[in-house]
Amino acid sequence: MEHAAPAIFVALEASDFALGIRKSLWLYPAANIGHIVALVFFAGAIAVMDVRLLGGLAATAPGRLLAGARNFAIAAFVGMAATGSMLFAAEASHLAVNPVFQVKLALIGVGLANIAIYEFGVRRAVDGLAPATPMPAAAKIAGALSLGIWVAVAACGRSIAYAG
Amino acid sequence: MMKSVTVIAALALLTGSAALAHHGWGSYDAVRPVTVTGPIQTLKYENPHALITVKGTDKVWTVTLAPTSRMDSRGATTKVVAVGKTVQAYGYPSTVEKDEMRAEWIQIDGKKYELR
Repeated sequence: MEHAAPAIFVALEASDFALGIRKSLWLYPAANIGHIVALVFFAGAIAVMDVRLLGGLAATAPGRLLAGARNFAIAAFVGMAATGSMLFAAEASHLAVNPVFQVKLALIGVGLANIAIYEFGVRRAVDGLAPATPMPAAAKIAGALSLGIWVAVAACGRSIAYAG
Repeated sequence: MMKSVTVIAALALLTGSAALAHHGWGSYDAVRPVTVTGPIQTLKYENPHALITVKGTDKVWTVTLAPTSRMDSRGATTKVVAVGKTVQAYGYPSTVEKDEMRAEWIQIDGKKYELR
């Protein structure tokens, strides 16, 4: 290949772990399906949280709804990271230099930063609110950003195969 | 105005028109099909796509085949697709990777295997 990847990614792709994934008839497709299943749960949980932050689903107190959805989102994110690592390892030297993959990883970083800002800066103003209370502007911004960022991450993920 | 520029930039990025292509059929030149015939020099019977190199008359081609499950179900097993065997591969040259093509079908020992 004419586009050279850093040695660490070449080594990862050549590792027994990555070779095992490529050699197996079912491991790669299983990781692929697992990634999508985890994505469905993640998207569902995130959508509930974002809609609540934007003021929807207002019949339930935000702290309570967010707490339940948060656990789903964390579990699903772990599932996505695990299956995504398998898919990445199998083709590490290509993916590391794939521009869409790089954008996707950067967007995941932005998404996690948005979550961190919410959790440490905004959450305390939201958790105690009663049902049907107007949401603080900072919460709405966090929810809107989250929706946009994660949709863009998904779009990038689907586009990787066509760009690198 | 700014908005439409951003959207166009995002679309260009996502469709990867300027990017390197690897899989999918999008980055292969379907109007310029090629047929490569020669011995199989190397074989990677791996996911997401099996890969062979074929010593054609003009140069060595890297030929991208199908996922291993499809290869198996179409009968193109490692017994058939093996180093040293002569293969005829019909497919489309990559628009980005030099000397790479994606095979629509391959023929080995007089038998044709559709890979799409």
